[in-house]
Amino acid sequence: MTFTPTELEVEGAAGGETAGEPAPSSPPASGRRLVRAFLRDRAAVACSAYILLVVLMAVFAPLLVKLSGYGPLEFDQGAVDPNLGGLPLGWGGGIGADHWFGVEPGNGRDIFARIVYGARVSMTIALLATALTSVLGVVFGLVAGYFGGRVDMVISRVMEFLMAFPALIFMIAVLSALPADNRQVLLVVVISFFGWPYLARIVRGQTMSLKQREFVESARASGASSAQIIFKEILPNLSSTIIVMTTLAVPGYVGTEAGLSFLGVGVVPPTPSWGQMIASSVPWYAVDPAYFLFPGAFLFLLVLSFTVLGDRIKKIVESGEGRA
Amino acid sequence: MATRTTRAAVAVAAAALLLTACTNGGSDEAAGGSSTDTPAVGGTVHMLQNADFSYLDPARGFDGGVNAFYRLVYRGLTMQAAGDAEDPNAIVPDMAESLGTASEDGLTWTYTLKDGLKFDNGDPITSAEVAFGISRAWDPEIGIGSPWLKNTVEAPEDYLGPYQSGEHPGIETPDEGTLVFHLKTPFPEFDNVLAQPNAVPFPVGSGAGDEFINDIVASGPYTLDTYTPGSLIKLVRNEHWDAETDEVRKAYPDAWEFEIGLDGATIDERLMAGQGSDVNAISGRIQAATLARVQTPELQDRLVTSPAYCTTYMGMNTTKAPFDQVEVRQAMNWAIDRTSLQTASGGNQLADPATTIIPEAVSGHKDFDLYPSDDYSGDPEKALELLAEVGLEDGFSFTLDIRSQPIMQAQAESIQQSLAAVNVDVKLNVIDTSTYYETIGTPSQQSDAAITGWCPDWASSASTMVPPLVDGRLITDKGNTNLAQIDDEAVNARIDEIKAMTDIAAANTAWGEFDEEVMALAPMAPLLWEKGVFLPGENIAGYHPSSNMTDLAIIGLRDPSQG
Amino acid sequence: MIRVLVNRLLGMAVVLFLVCAFTYVIFFVLSPDPAVQICGKNCTPEAIDQIRANLGLDQPFWTQFWTFLGGLFAGRTYGTGANAIECVAPCLGYSFQSSQPVTDMILQRLPVSVTVAVGAAVLWLLAGVSAGLVSAVREGRFADRFIAGLTLTGMSVPNYVLALSLQFLLVVTLGWLPFPQAVAFGDDPGQWFANFLMPWIVLSIGAAAVYTRLTRANVIETLQENYVRTARAKGLSPGLVWRRHALRPALTPIVTIFGMDFAGLLGGALITETVFGLNGVGKLAADSITKNDQPVIMGVTLLAAFLVVVGNMVVDLLYTAIDPRVRVGSSA
Repeated sequence: MTFTPTELEVEGAAGGETAGEPAPSSPPASGRRLVRAFLRDRAAVACSAYILLVVLMAVFAPLLVKLSGYGPLEFDQGAVDPNLGGLPLGWGGGIGADHWFGVEPGNGRDIFARIVYGARVSMTIALLATALTSVLGVVFGLVAGYFGGRVDMVISRVMEFLMAFPALIFMIAVLSALPADNRQVLLVVVISFFGWPYLARIVRGQTMSLKQREFVESARASGASSAQIIFKEILPNLSSTIIVMTTLAVPGYVGTEAGLSFLGVGVVPPTPSWGQMIASSVPWYAVDPAYFLFPGAFLFLLVLSFTVLGDRIKKIVESGEGRA
Repeated sequence: MATRTTRAAVAVAAAALLLTACTNGGSDEAAGGSSTDTPAVGGTVHMLQNADFSYLDPARGFDGGVNAFYRLVYRGLTMQAAGDAEDPNAIVPDMAESLGTASEDGLTWTYTLKDGLKFDNGDPITSAEVAFGISRAWDPEIGIGSPWLKNTVEAPEDYLGPYQSGEHPGIETPDEGTLVFHLKTPFPEFDNVLAQPNAVPFPVGSGAGDEFINDIVASGPYTLDTYTPGSLIKLVRNEHWDAETDEVRKAYPDAWEFEIGLDGATIDERLMAGQGSDVNAISGRIQAATLARVQTPELQDRLVTSPAYCTTYMGMNTTKAPFDQVEVRQAMNWAIDRTSLQTASGGNQLADPATTIIPEAVSGHKDFDLYPSDDYSGDPEKALELLAEVGLEDGFSFTLDIRSQPIMQAQAESIQQSLAAVNVDVKLNVIDTSTYYETIGTPSQQSDAAITGWCPDWASSASTMVPPLVDGRLITDKGNTNLAQIDDEAVNARIDEIKAMTDIAAANTAWGEFDEEVMALAPMAPLLWEKGVFLPGENIAGYHPSSNMTDLAIIGLRDPSQG
Repeated sequence: MIRVLVNRLLGMAVVLFLVCAFTYVIFFVLSPDPAVQICGKNCTPEAIDQIRANLGLDQPFWTQFWTFLGGLFAGRTYGTGANAIECVAPCLGYSFQSSQPVTDMILQRLPVSVTVAVGAAVLWLLAGVSAGLVSAVREGRFADRFIAGLTLTGMSVPNYVLALSLQFLLVVTLGWLPFPQAVAFGDDPGQWFANFLMPWIVLSIGAAAVYTRLTRANVIETLQENYVRTARAKGLSPGLVWRRHALRPALTPIVTIFGMDFAGLLGGALITETVFGLNGVGKLAADSITKNDQPVIMGVTLLAAFLVVVGNMVVDLLYTAIDPRVRVGSSA
């Protein structure tokens, strides 16, 4: 789910629907202007390019690995020194024509191949978690904000409770106790379970203020059902908030997945994951820094790109709102 | 130390978690002479370790690390010989005047206590205290350590230890200095049983419940000064221990400090740097990643290696297809690339390819390789031939149980790779460390195969090395050690035959041959002998070979004023 | 004021009770049978049943839960007779793997966690607030943009990657700092500082970035408020305007998140403590997870939740005291 102009267009169209409303905090300006603003922002474009690169890497992993010559699980005894505890032979952890990013100590597995396959895990989990979180957050936020009263109270209490919970420790505990099959699905579920209140809280607040507004009142007067009002009137007005919040949430989930894998409760080996690669590089950092630098750099850049992108989109949307 | 589901659990976990104090079992030449000098009296030796000892109570604890610790504070009737002895695996008298005297029928063993034995509070140790201490092994909640006393000494079914059932009916104390043990069946190696850590004296009536979880009533040269679980144990001299009564323990240093809860990497960093009191420090084996950093001449001089006392193997469940066919099991033995396994486990300094069940350092080892290949790197053609004989040349897939521990995962991935060459697809079933041995020891839960390790309970004979893994009569619903679940009449009969031999040397030769007979049936694939490389502090002396635990009792400092 | 306090306390009790119940249910369902662990090898099914009965593990769920809650307030005894084990209040459970009450294990490791947390908190407050102020004052200029870049980087770098990079750079390559280990302050203050410096940096960097942004935004917003403009127009000295009218309201929201962040940290910095091998509560949790020592994991989870909830409440009350505007009806 990279941020593409298409989505911006959709968002813009939604904004256009209510463009006639004169209220001061009225939703955003035309999509085209936002796209142009976005394209002018070099940082945002660079970040999108990097994210696109990782996505392409993930999608074409098998092809790339054919090109580089080694699979992610393939051992290469010739690339490590059995006398030194399996330290990679050669400079930079065995970087060379054979192994572009060097090899893992001990078994000589190709780091390039593992990075490329690891991208699949990172992206899949982060994006699925984001999707699930957004759905949960939006639905509960809308319901709580629109209906208010007892429904709101119950949902708000649950959100407070989940946010008071030491989520990381709990995620680890639950994951470590559950059977290892389907770990990826579990990761998504557990991350989303603790993630949705942060979006829901904001959606709830905005819904509460939107529902007082005239266009909602008039829709209600013309006999629209609650569902129609929620999905046709309120939701479109929330789209910019949701897009900004979700983009800002992705880096968190990329980091969480890597962190959980780092702590040994993420994806099950031998499936490669960046967090897991960094975890296994810990004992080797002094003699083979390349082993943690490659996955570390890829992970850091991915998180950074999503963070910067979220930040920029937020600014563009905000300034767009201001100008409208 | 968390798991103690099976004996293998204890022994292997101890080795793998690097908390064993295993040192150089018989390689003075590798030590470069320095750390094997005779120590001076005085000073404090530091032991750096990751995990806390399983239990200070010897009736509960039973693994390489804690057994070495018990040797400093507890005494038995017999004990394993000093680490620098000619045969460090031998059993010698400790509190007893001599090894036991067996009756004609082998069912009654008599021991006489030395004079002048005392607890750390000054009270004398008599036969009553020894019998009481030993009887604690029968308490259902406390006696979870070594099973050998319960396995050999005659006791009624309903005897539940001294706190619930009173005195042990199978142990007689005709006078203060004499103990008579009545056995269930003749057991020629009974002296080994009394050298187990749970055969030690305690004041009559003491030690119920968790009393000895944080406390020690010492009979050995040291006693507990402070214990902060999970972080520090400090031992000081037991003033009532009389060196005259103890031929084995030298007890050079005045005190011991066990620093617990340190990371493997931290320990290695500290030993390499050797700052302050770390010159007086020892620890478990160094990590593979550290090997590349100890290549300087000074550090190389300090390195000490130790042979393996345990065998890492892959047990194949013979009750499940296709491992019910001997050809398939043999094919696995042919196909596995043991060099790749070796590199994945830390390279040739930390592991050797294993071809037999009994490791070299254990008495009774016979050198053979029924499934030879160049450089131990496997012979896929041979394996394919065998698989073709049973129509499996197109391969099959099986599930391999492994523990969620980095080295074991690396080993499993290596097997996955080498078996892929013979079209066998290995699925890994990663099991949490604490429930691993419980799971694979429960036949209803174990998968097609499992990687685990096995160490002998005593290294002076192979009687505890091979039989527990292949004796068909030992297959149980829980805590099963015969992972292959092989139940072969000829094998079972052979075990009984060798166990009955009273000539231990002849028995050991027979065990070696038995090893080869078993390997022809291939109920398992021996994988590796994981050795140890150790880096003692500069000022450490008397760091000598012993059995699968360090003989801490003979270690000391070259210059006690240092550090 | 008293009514607010009572309300908050009641709300806190309810949340804590729910956290307890939720945690207990999960662990009750997932936990491996402690009886099997106690029984050890060569265990018979009868012996396991015996131990289960001794420990009350054969009781229905609710009975066990109430016993657990009771243990929190009054302590409890595991088992009966000669082999009984005392666990004094607040009894967070008993680890059968390490034969220790969970409370003792946590208390023993708390000092390291507190050291790590306090140091990091001081660092991120100082760094975050000052960088935020600089940014606000130089809004739009080079310094502001530079700091903005730094904060984005700080927010994005996973702390274990940062930890490894720093360790490689400062310890291995340059040799400026020792390999971190917990040294008591009393033993050698210099060593103590040098050893904890890296963990503090690693732990504070993410929070410092967030605080920078927050401070910047708040200060800029406050400076545009009417009363600040009025104060300026009245000819008050810039320093006075800053201190009295801009800084205080701008920094009030910082207090809110600081309380929560700090309380969360006291419960253990799981990853940082693990990477640097510091024996704090976080590492205890990580180790217990590896060993599947469920009573300890549950104990740490409860402690962490307790700290967050209490931290929240303290912050709310402080907030009421600092900012007169929220004094009325701030029970949300």
